[in-house]
Formats: sequence, structure tokens, C-alpha cells
Amino acid sequence: MDINYQFLEQTFYLVLAAVPTTLNLTVTSLLLSLPLAFFMALVRLRRTRYVSGFVGAYITLLRGTPIVLQILLIYSLLPSLLHALVGTLGWTINVFDWNPILYAYLVFTLNTTALLAEVFRSALGSIERGQMEAALCAGLTKVQAYVHILIPQALVTALPNICNVTVNLIKGTSLAFLMTVKDMTAVAKVAASYGYNYIEAYLDVFAGYIIICSIVQVLFVFAESHVGRFRLIKQK
Amino acid sequence: MLKITNIHKKYKTAEVLKGVDIQVAKGDVVVILGPSGSGKTTLLRCLNFLEHADQGEMEFGADRLQLASASAREIAKVRKKTAFVFQNYNLFQNKTVLENVTAGLILGRGIKRPEAEVIARKALAKVGLSDRETYYPLQLSGGQQQRVGIARAIAVNPDVILFDEPTSALDPELVSEVLAIIKQLAREGTTMVIVTHEMNFAADVATHAIFMAEGNIVEQGSPQDIFLHPQQERTRKFLRRILPQVEYNI
Repeated sequence: MDINYQFLEQTFYLVLAAVPTTLNLTVTSLLLSLPLAFFMALVRLRRTRYVSGFVGAYITLLRGTPIVLQILLIYSLLPSLLHALVGTLGWTINVFDWNPILYAYLVFTLNTTALLAEVFRSALGSIERGQMEAALCAGLTKVQAYVHILIPQALVTALPNICNVTVNLIKGTSLAFLMTVKDMTAVAKVAASYGYNYIEAYLDVFAGYIIICSIVQVLFVFAESHVGRFRLIKQK
Repeated sequence: MLKITNIHKKYKTAEVLKGVDIQVAKGDVVVILGPSGSGKTTLLRCLNFLEHADQGEMEFGADRLQLASASAREIAKVRKKTAFVFQNYNLFQNKTVLENVTAGLILGRGIKRPEAEVIARKALAKVGLSDRETYYPLQLSGGQQQRVGIARAIAVNPDVILFDEPTSALDPELVSEVLAIIKQLAREGTTMVIVTHEMNFAADVATHAIFMAEGNIVEQGSPQDIFLHPQQERTRKFLRRILPQVEYNI
């Protein structure tokens, strides 16, 4: 088996050029998910009957189906539905012109929200009730208590899991090619298809993901030691 | 200054408070005694809305409010006029000792940080922990943590400090350092309501003692009345069990 080193190198630059798309997908989905997931976690912890049940069902549904299936369903169903809706409303928008990355944002946000909601729920649930009570007694509002006391503590338990979700999301965005989004994987596949250099292309993508995911993990390690300093100090 | 009338509290089917009245005047040290399950902690927690009473009226300074239907603003106001010292300290784990004390001042009351730190340092000096400012709660002993808890309470200069069994979670040899500080506060005329099982301390520090059982106030009066000349059999039984020497004192 011969490796086409020239192709390997050229395609690597192509893959690198697509890194922003992968990061864009990841960061946008994460940023959209964070507040949604946090809200869902609060709802779940409150155990308000109907809303909590609804959120629980949502999480079960999203966690219980392969992301490929979610992509295929949403990408084949939603545009047609939207098109029909737009038609009945009498608007003159062509839904099929929309950038497919919008659908990618949607799928990955929905998915990540479900995962993060559980991460936040477990992390917030691990904080003693007394922390909130002490904050209220000290005259803090509930929002202040969350911002200054509860969330900083919950992050210590949550960060390793958030890191997991993030890394999985990065890797998951490789499925965006199914929605014709030109991320790292898609670019490499297209490049490979001309001369059937799939091995080289896949090696490039392989390296690309490893680099990105490693950097992300290192960043999380720093973040962990920062938010966990009140715990780490004790071990010194 | 603080007056609660006819407070009722029910958990599902268990009635924990069955119409309790309590009055606290400025400078009072009210001690609440009673067997576990008598409702004394619940009573204390209802005073600043950590628990929501089902019924009852509160007069606090010039304010008058219904415990069951108090608005968020009324509750916030009561909380800013009180401070609470917990059985298990509940220091903010992610904050240093100094930050624990300044949080209520800066976040709760909008005092500027430099000024808040001056106040906090004074409070910490009072509890003898000036040298622990930069420590985190996990680095402190239980007694030290509770002293920070007290510093956090006095720093906000509340009208009344509520103590919920402040020494119950402490190792025996650490109890005295915490009690000494509370006694000092009592000498300075700090208004306090204290739920405690430390009978000698209670007899020593109280200006008014309340004995509770099964959600009712069985008996109240001066510490002498309650500890030395209890009128009710229920009170005597409790004191005999917890403080055998009282029998011989009478």
C-alpha cells in the first residue's frame, strides 16, 4: 500500500481550513445549549410535575436515539415542513435556500442540551441545600446565590462531564456532512473522492480531531484546577 | 422588637408547630430548649422564612406581615434584618473566610468592597480568626468554621441573630470556643435567639428561656424559673434526663 504523501499534506491543509467550521458548529451549539440545559436542570430539580415530566421525556428521547437518526430525520423532515408552513402563511421565502448549517446547529443544540441538562442536574444536586439557605440568610437573592455560590461549586463536579460532552460534540460534528455542511470530515471526503485517496484523507481528519480534542481537554484541565482551587488547596 | 403570634406549621400530615407565640425584645437572649422533634428548629427557621409557616403573624420593628403570605420583598427585608448561624456552619465552600463574611455585605447589601472588608476584618477579629482570612472553609476545624459563621452573622449588624444548635456538630473540645464567643456577644447586648442542647450555657447566657415539646411552648420564663423551678412535669422530665444535677439543686 502506497501513501500519497503529497496528497496527505495538501489535504491536511484543506482539513485545517475547515477547522473553523467544526469549531463554529461546536461553539455555537454549546453556547445555545448551556442556558437551555441549565434551565432544564433547574426544572428537573424542582420536580414541578408537568414541566419536569416534559423535560424528562425530551431528555429520554434525545439520549435514546442515535444522533445520525436525529440528523437524518430533522434534515429530511424539517425543510419540507417549514416549506409547507411558509407556503400556507403565504410568505415568499425559499426554505431550501437556507444554509444547511442552521439545521446542524439545531440538531447538535438539541442533542447537547439533553446531555448537559443531566450533567447540570447531577452537579447542582450534589451541592448541599445549606449553601442556598446560607446565601439567602446572608441577604443574597436566588440569582446571586446561583451565580456566586452554587454554580462555582457545581462547576467543580460538572467540568469533567462538560469536557466529555464537548469532546463528543466535536467528534459528533463530523456527521454534519450528512447535512452537506463542509466541516473537516466533509472536506476530506470530497478531496479523497477525486483520486480515491481515502486512507490519506482519513488520516488527515484523524490528526485534525486529535489535535482539536487534545487542546480542548488541556483547556478543561486548566479550568478544572481554577474552579476547584478551594478543594485542591486542602490536598497540598 | 420581634413578635410572632400563633405560628402553625405542618409537614404533610405531621403538625410541627401548633400555634406558638414568641417575643424578642432588643438585647434579649432567648434560649429555646426541648427534646428533638419538638419543633424548635422549625420555629427558628420560620422566623426568617427558611421554612414557610402555614399561619401566623410577625411584627418586626415597624413592619407587620403574615407569615403564610409574605411577599418576596417582605421576606428579603426580614432576612436582611436577621442573621442565621447553622448547625453545620454552611460556610460558602468556594469562598475564603474573608469572602464568606463580605458576601452578605457586598452582594446582599450593596456595600463597597473596601468598606465591607473593613467591617469583615473587625468581625473576624472578634471571633479570633484574623489570621485565617485567606483560608477556605475546608482548611478550618469545625470550631473555626462555626466562628466564621458567627463572624458572617455579626458583620451585617442584624437586629437579631438566630442560632440553630450552633455547637451540635462540633467535637466536644471545640464547643467551648464557640460558646465563649456567643457569651461575649450576649454581654455586649446582642439580640439573639438560640436553639441549643447545651444546658449550662443556656442557663448562663439566657435572659429568657422557652421550653418546647410536641410543637407547643410548654413553659417559658427567666432561666431561673425554667432551670431551677420548672412548673410543668414535662419540663422537669426533660431537665432530669438531660441535666441530672438539677434534681439535687432544687
